[in-house]
Amino acid sequence: MDGVVESVARVISTDGVVAWLEPEKANACGGCLSAGSCSAQGGEPGRRLSSRRFTIADTFHATVGDRIVVGLSEHALLKASATAYAIPLLLMVGIALVGQLATDNDVIAAIGAVAGLIAGLLIAKHRASRLDARGELSPYFLRFARGEGQGDNCPTD
Amino acid sequence: MGHVQEFIMLMVGAALVNNVVLVRFLGLCSFMGVTTKIDTAVGMGMATTFVMTVSSILAWAVEVFLLVPFDLGYLRTITFILVIAAVVQFTEMVIRKVSPSLFKTLGIYLPLITTNCAVLGIPLLNVQSRHDFMHSMLYGFASAFGYSLILVIFAGLRERIALNDVPRLFVGPPIGFVTASLLALAFMGFSGISAN
Repeated sequence: MDGVVESVARVISTDGVVAWLEPEKANACGGCLSAGSCSAQGGEPGRRLSSRRFTIADTFHATVGDRIVVGLSEHALLKASATAYAIPLLLMVGIALVGQLATDNDVIAAIGAVAGLIAGLLIAKHRASRLDARGELSPYFLRFARGEGQGDNCPTD
Repeated sequence: MGHVQEFIMLMVGAALVNNVVLVRFLGLCSFMGVTTKIDTAVGMGMATTFVMTVSSILAWAVEVFLLVPFDLGYLRTITFILVIAAVVQFTEMVIRKVSPSLFKTLGIYLPLITTNCAVLGIPLLNVQSRHDFMHSMLYGFASAFGYSLILVIFAGLRERIALNDVPRLFVGPPIGFVTASLLALAFMGFSGISAN
């Protein structure tokens, strides 16, 4: 069975049909109670978090301020990250490598890298729109989150 | 043919022999922090590989066209930090432009690593090794691949550890570090494959 990856988000607004959510601050280490004493974990400013707001169907009678756990299939997350990062990267490296081996010229290789990156991004755009049309990029409600916030998965707790 | 062999040896050396986590001890915070699930580790590995490779290319360009001609080597570290920050911002902007839904999905589940010392370490190692464009790019790509490989292997091990009875004093990071040290010993088996 396909697993589910979970994340916690806070309800910002709701009209009874659709709820607007904002993901909780996330860091490379998952966020933790020791964040204040760790220089590597500045957290994300509010402006960046607000740019990540998303909607889900309000089937759980949300009220503003609720913390909920949203899920996405692990398979979908892999597809999304492969689309966004792996395709452009592999095309960039591959075309640069072919250019270098064919001409032994750094400039040609650099041009090949840029061309590969652009081609990869175009393919990623096409693939992402297909994934989106199939609804594979939409997170869904799992349950209400317990507790006050971060610290649940801190490796140093 | 000589180039191909040289590139393969460079990549094997960067990914397996001189692994960025197990040999150079870079990126340990994210190594311990994001390796609780295999799928998250794979996603994070792909994101980091992208950022590391592009950062290596741009850092090479900054080094060759700016820092060396104007004798600004003393600004190297801070310049590379700026380059990496710019690459991360650029990556986010591009993904948002390419597909807003993809950007939001990844934003919820995969925060992009901005403060990872491995991302800074690789461009600095490129400069130290006097790599040209192609070597810089491949070294960045292979190092990042090695980093991602370790993330995924370690995530798999931690998923298994989570299902076992671990002595109370070793729960969490202690057993994680013990496991990482055993993994490092296993990777010592690759020593001698490549001179890089």
